Amino acid sequence: MARFKNKKKVIVKPVAKKKQPTVDHITGSKIPMSFVFSRGKLPGPLRQLQMDLRKLMLPYTALNLKEKKRNNLKDFLNVAGPMGVTHFLIISKTTTAPYLRVARTPQGPTLTFKIHEYSLAVDVIKSQLRPRCPQDLFKNAPLIVLSGFGTGDQHLKLTTIMFQNIFPAIDINTVKLSSCQRIVLLNYNKDTKLIDFRHYSIRLQPVGVSRRIRKFVQNHQVPDLRNLQDVSDFVTKAGYGSESEADDEAATVTLASDLGRVNRASTKSAVKLQEIGPRMTLQLIKIEEGLCSGGVIFSEYGSGDGKKKQDNEEDPEDQEDEDEDREDIVQDEEDHEENIVEDDDEDVD
Amino acid sequence: MAERIHVAEPAKVQKKRKLGKKDSKAKKNTKKAMLQGIGQSKVKKIDIKMKKLFRKRAREYNSDDDEGDHDSSSMAVIRDEEFSEEEKMEVDAELDNILPDDEENGEILPGITKFAEGCRAFRLAFRSIIKKNVLDDSLGPVLSAHKKLIAEKLAEEEAERKVKVEVKKEKHLIGEKGHVKPANYFDSHEKFLTGVATKGVVKLFNAVNKAQHAQKGLNLMRSKDAKAIRKRRKETFFSELGKTSKPAANTLTKGHASPDQRDGEGPAWAPLRDNYMLTNPKLKDWDKIPEATVADEFRRMSEQPCSDDD
Repeated sequence: MARFKNKKKVIVKPVAKKKQPTVDHITGSKIPMSFVFSRGKLPGPLRQLQMDLRKLMLPYTALNLKEKKRNNLKDFLNVAGPMGVTHFLIISKTTTAPYLRVARTPQGPTLTFKIHEYSLAVDVIKSQLRPRCPQDLFKNAPLIVLSGFGTGDQHLKLTTIMFQNIFPAIDINTVKLSSCQRIVLLNYNKDTKLIDFRHYSIRLQPVGVSRRIRKFVQNHQVPDLRNLQDVSDFVTKAGYGSESEADDEAATVTLASDLGRVNRASTKSAVKLQEIGPRMTLQLIKIEEGLCSGGVIFSEYGSGDGKKKQDNEEDPEDQEDEDEDREDIVQDEEDHEENIVEDDDEDVD
Repeated sequence: MAERIHVAEPAKVQKKRKLGKKDSKAKKNTKKAMLQGIGQSKVKKIDIKMKKLFRKRAREYNSDDDEGDHDSSSMAVIRDEEFSEEEKMEVDAELDNILPDDEENGEILPGITKFAEGCRAFRLAFRSIIKKNVLDDSLGPVLSAHKKLIAEKLAEEEAERKVKVEVKKEKHLIGEKGHVKPANYFDSHEKFLTGVATKGVVKLFNAVNKAQHAQKGLNLMRSKDAKAIRKRRKETFFSELGKTSKPAANTLTKGHASPDQRDGEGPAWAPLRDNYMLTNPKLKDWDKIPEATVADEFRRMSEQPCSDDD
């Protein structure tokens, strides 16, 4: 019995013990799930990067996905269907650079990015003075912020749509702000054509409260009142503001609800981001119609780009299917809430 | 100590079958060499050989007359020994016969021959051992050659290891390609990116705040909120009319494309305003729109919320 069981080539162990809902009960749309895996043997740091990306995609990904050497893309596809996995994130490496491919499963388009630089989560945390990792950080999916893409080029548009759909949508009316704890930023630089990929954790801090009182309330540590005559000295002492507090004017929000003990509704709170997770500098190289196959819609270097080895997959898709896909995606946008905030564009439609 | 060990070795080498005999002979040899005047060894076996040897010695003795003086003194000493030995030994008849014949010789020779015999046997044994030792010693120079070989081998291994280390280093470098460790300080670019992300989050949170907290249509300033209100209106449509959203969505998008018109003037609630739904020229004459369903929806929408609030 064990032998027959082992013939199933891809072993997938999703994170949550309880069954994850495939359909979001609020927006009514399908929750996108993803697989993060690698093609070929990766050196140490890249394997770490793969793990970091998996953590980033939590909770709608397979954290303990085990892949064997002989697994093909077909195997992953076969497993993806019944499990409701919609996106693949594939890491591979050549002598020049590592590559990241983002693909939409059944027959969707594949975006190939070249990773110019990357930093692992551990590196980022090491470089920080006070790393913070609250407990339920990875319980909810992250928000995504895309900036600098503009509405111009077709391939950029496709990129934005693809990334928007990787993460589940949120409904503004019913979302709880306490569940938005992470944010993924993709910033496109027109001059260098590079995309900066960052991953932050969100922290809210009450504003307008003196530093000492805030720390006292947050840390529950009894302050040292030795040198003070009266409690009023402690409360009203004009403390100096740190550098980061000064430029928070634009970053204050008025909360809709109470968030923990400290941040109360209808009072101003400052939004503080701290970087967790991997950092990448990507360059869009290629967009293909099919899943790692099919016609090339866009190519950075022209048609002579044969740097990557391809896994031959299903039949190449027609242009019609591709357009259909895109239409569907755009329609989806209109029908349900978005979780995107775009900086330079007011009108997404 | 060493002699005894060496004596034991040849015994072992001889494959054990003559061990017993060898041992006894070895013991005899050692005893005869070591002891003087104590004759406990058995003479019977040696008798025939001894006879021959006696005769040989006698001839030698007889042939050499010049050295008789030397020998006489030594003989005298040996004679004494022989006498003492003879007394204790079990002498054979032949030996007795020989003895009176060659009394002097018999007296002398057994002593000499025995001593010589013992000496010679021991010498033979010792030599064989020493030969082996020589062989062992000859391994010495071979060992030193062996040492040279070892040294060469070690040098080779070291060279191999160095090459391997270099190859490993290269592999490691290739693996690390692109891996950048972020700097400790807060880079300006990073600050900029953090600012961008913060702006995004602030926007979203404000939108959520307004959508969840505020009344319907409080702020039509931003399209985000306009969308929210639009969606909410859509939801109310769902619940009240049970119709599909698509035609409504389409008309609504057209209806609220203008972002920056409301500034909070007049009543806060949009439907109470005079220019409610009338900004869009298409919907201005909504009662004249041929699509009755859409017009009905709008009419009902304007009526029912009023009734609800009351």
